[in-house]
Amino acid sequence: MTVGTAPPPVRTPVRPAAKRRRPGRWYPYLFIGPSLFGVVAFLLLPVVIVFVLSLFDWELLSDPTFVGLDNYRKLAADGSVWSSLGTTIVYVLLAIPLQTVLALLLALMLNQRVKGVKFFRALFVIPWMATPMVLGLVWSWIFDPKDGAINQLLDVFGITGPAWLSESSLALPAVALVSVWQHTGYNMLFFLAGLQGIPQELYDAAACDGATPVQRFFRVTLPLLNPTMFFVTVTNMIGAFQAFDTIYSMTAGGPSESTTVINFKIFHLAFREFDFGYAATVSIVLFLIILLVTSVQIRFFSKRTTYDMS
Amino acid sequence: MKRFLLYATLIVGSVITVFPYILVVLTAFKSQEQLHTTAPWLPGVPPTTDNLTKLLGGEFPQYILNTALMTAALTVGQLVFTTFAAYAFARLRFRGREVLFWLFVATMMVPVAVTVIPLFLIMKELDLINTWGGLLVPYLLGSPYGIFLMRQFFRGLPAGLEEAARIDGAGPMTILVRVLLPLCKPALGTLAIITVISSWNSFMWPLIITSGDETKVITVALAALKVGIGVDYTAIMSGGLIALVPTVVIFIFFQRYIVRSVVLTGLK
Repeated sequence: MTVGTAPPPVRTPVRPAAKRRRPGRWYPYLFIGPSLFGVVAFLLLPVVIVFVLSLFDWELLSDPTFVGLDNYRKLAADGSVWSSLGTTIVYVLLAIPLQTVLALLLALMLNQRVKGVKFFRALFVIPWMATPMVLGLVWSWIFDPKDGAINQLLDVFGITGPAWLSESSLALPAVALVSVWQHTGYNMLFFLAGLQGIPQELYDAAACDGATPVQRFFRVTLPLLNPTMFFVTVTNMIGAFQAFDTIYSMTAGGPSESTTVINFKIFHLAFREFDFGYAATVSIVLFLIILLVTSVQIRFFSKRTTYDMS
Repeated sequence: MKRFLLYATLIVGSVITVFPYILVVLTAFKSQEQLHTTAPWLPGVPPTTDNLTKLLGGEFPQYILNTALMTAALTVGQLVFTTFAAYAFARLRFRGREVLFWLFVATMMVPVAVTVIPLFLIMKELDLINTWGGLLVPYLLGSPYGIFLMRQFFRGLPAGLEEAARIDGAGPMTILVRVLLPLCKPALGTLAIITVISSWNSFMWPLIITSGDETKVITVALAALKVGIGVDYTAIMSGGLIALVPTVVIFIFFQRYIVRSVVLTGLK
């Protein structure tokens, strides 16, 4: 935290002269002012409002009424919220391990002497930039029961494919697959950068000691990739817990709420049922989960999150 | 044999990566009839531009313009305000600097999903629902993430840079604009790209805050195309094609900035 700051002032006779030439001390505050206002008004104030709102019953058209902890009592007994939470966790567990492991495998492949590394690396990152709304629509089309690419392909082999997005057991994995498709390549970039940061001497030393390639992977590569692993899983999970766009466009939470993840539930409660107080209460649950996930992961991967941030 | 497998896997991966994009293009140029008679991975013969002409003859150009305006405004705002704040946090000394910086970092933990409801209520209180103000204001003043990114970069610049300029009598503003900013081009480029992409792709906030055509963006318009009975994928995919073009163009020209974003986030 000290790099970049000047050394502490030393009282010497030169100081008054320097002080005279220095402009007023207000300008740093002017520089951070707009951003500070933005952070306070549009990030901190909303958090306060969410907590206050959770104590009120407010359907927007009528005046808010103070109801104390009623929303929390309602929440405790609300099966649909807890099941949407379960759905979210299943979604995260379907998407994150797959998009992390696949990314690591891709990175390991590209870390070897491969022709056209740059080409492949660039190509695999493209999905990360794609508009999630459009992705949801394209993949709806790919999963289309009749003319969609997947079922048409299965048809070639004489298999009749299911109606992927209309069956409650298949819709969630299908939606999770889109997340995997979108994030694997970008995650790979981080792993590739991490792999390239591991000194070759460590591998040479391990080889000298007779370590097999598998041992080298588990004893050298994986431990040294810890910071990368931490970064990738944390950012991916924070994103996955808030999945919205692709679900909105692919299934709109259906069929029979099987893809209603928590973020979609909150959106629905607030902007379709106009139950703002209760929606705020549910969003606090999401907030706490994200905080919990982050802190658990910090503990799990030890406190070191990057290689060198000085 | 091992190398063959390696390349085979990479090529299969590439095909899976590119396939949805190809599908968008193929479908956008098919007629309703061709959609059902040709395999999805084959082009419609003859290709038709009817879908695109129809889409561009309606309200869609307005939505494209709206999205472009929103993207431009948010990107300029992000770059300007983020640069000033990051510069102050990285290179200036003032009281409360550390506390304020950690406040910024802490707000990075606040999920968007949690802020959307209160932001909507704040905008309602300010009478900004369904206005450009409501759409832009919450995200115009720079994000904590951007400030964190730029601060890292500013701190990496040599310490003596300002000294020489200061001795020549330059003020902090001159130092920032004349001395430091020219060195920041890579970081600014990366931040610009990330902001352009995330603004162009944004959906949830525009969906909530806008309803009229004057402020409707592409993502919201596309979502509306899938609602109702008889989903027409040829129309949807031509809209999707329009939405995807800028992201692909940016990717082709500024690919190195995206790879660099990985470096800038603090990981080597």
